[in-house]
Amino acid sequence: MPSIRVPSALRTFTGGASDIEISASTVRDALAELDKKHPGIAAKVLGNDGAVKPFIRIYVGPDDIGDLGGLDAKLTDRDEISIIPAIAGGSGA
Amino acid sequence: MITRTLIVGAGGLGGPIAFALGAAKHELTIVDHDSVEVSNLHRQIQYTALDLGEPKAARLAGEVVARGGTARGVVQQWSPEVADELGADVDLIVDASDHPTTKFGVADWAVANGRTYVIAAALRYGGNVFAGAPGVACYRCLFEDPTDAPTCAEAGVLGPVVGAIGGVAAALALGLANGDRTYAGALLAFDDLRKLAEPRVVRFAPRRDCPACARAPISPFAAQPVRVAENA
Repeated sequence: MPSIRVPSALRTFTGGASDIEISASTVRDALAELDKKHPGIAAKVLGNDGAVKPFIRIYVGPDDIGDLGGLDAKLTDRDEISIIPAIAGGSGA
Repeated sequence: MITRTLIVGAGGLGGPIAFALGAAKHELTIVDHDSVEVSNLHRQIQYTALDLGEPKAARLAGEVVARGGTARGVVQQWSPEVADELGADVDLIVDASDHPTTKFGVADWAVANGRTYVIAAALRYGGNVFAGAPGVACYRCLFEDPTDAPTCAEAGVLGPVVGAIGGVAAALALGLANGDRTYAGALLAFDDLRKLAEPRVVRFAPRRDCPACARAPISPFAAQPVRVAENA
């Protein structure tokens, strides 16, 4: 079963869990399934237009999904999806 | 040769970065408009209760000088115009700020002016460090727009994580200053330093429609890196 590696910044949605197994055949389906398990998390990754937000990159294994067909990238049982957001932090109060 | 380095942000990241680069004899300019507050002290360990209310940039510069380094503090909010004024003779710029717009602004300014740069960020238990240099894909090639990027103010950060990420940023800055381009154009993503200290190293190709690269004096399209992500 594919899995999603949830970045530290979004683990408030998953109760702190970092790796979530998902039954899905595409990245788009995987994010929808993730949102069913942990409501609200997909809205942090996808915009209102359904596209990946511009400060987030998604990888399947070592490959950017931009090279694999975007959100329609196919998944196999052993694939790991990684969500990598730009973050800001470290200086303020 | 002396390296002139501009550090944007004198907080939890800026402290260890300034100490490390100051000790390596970089000539530092530190920009920050903020003052020391009691809520800063647990992770901005360059300050003490005696510094409360003092401008961070001036205090951090003073601490660098007290350790034998060369630094000046500029109590001002960073902007591209401030960078134009302060950065004319700067070799390297390091972002240690807490605001996504500033991070992208620093990266864009560095790309447009052909400077090496490091963008550092810490959040919750991990962080990202990007090493930028002329001729490679830039920060905005990877992340197109800062809107809604998570911040410390929203998600918090574990104090020691900031110091660790600051140390990595300083090491990459020293490498770039010494001509080491091993990680030039790569993002080092530390997911959870409580569990794993190894970063995921994300390398990527320059983006054809990147507005920052369009203004770069040295095009990143001359030699494209392979788009891969790997563990270090």
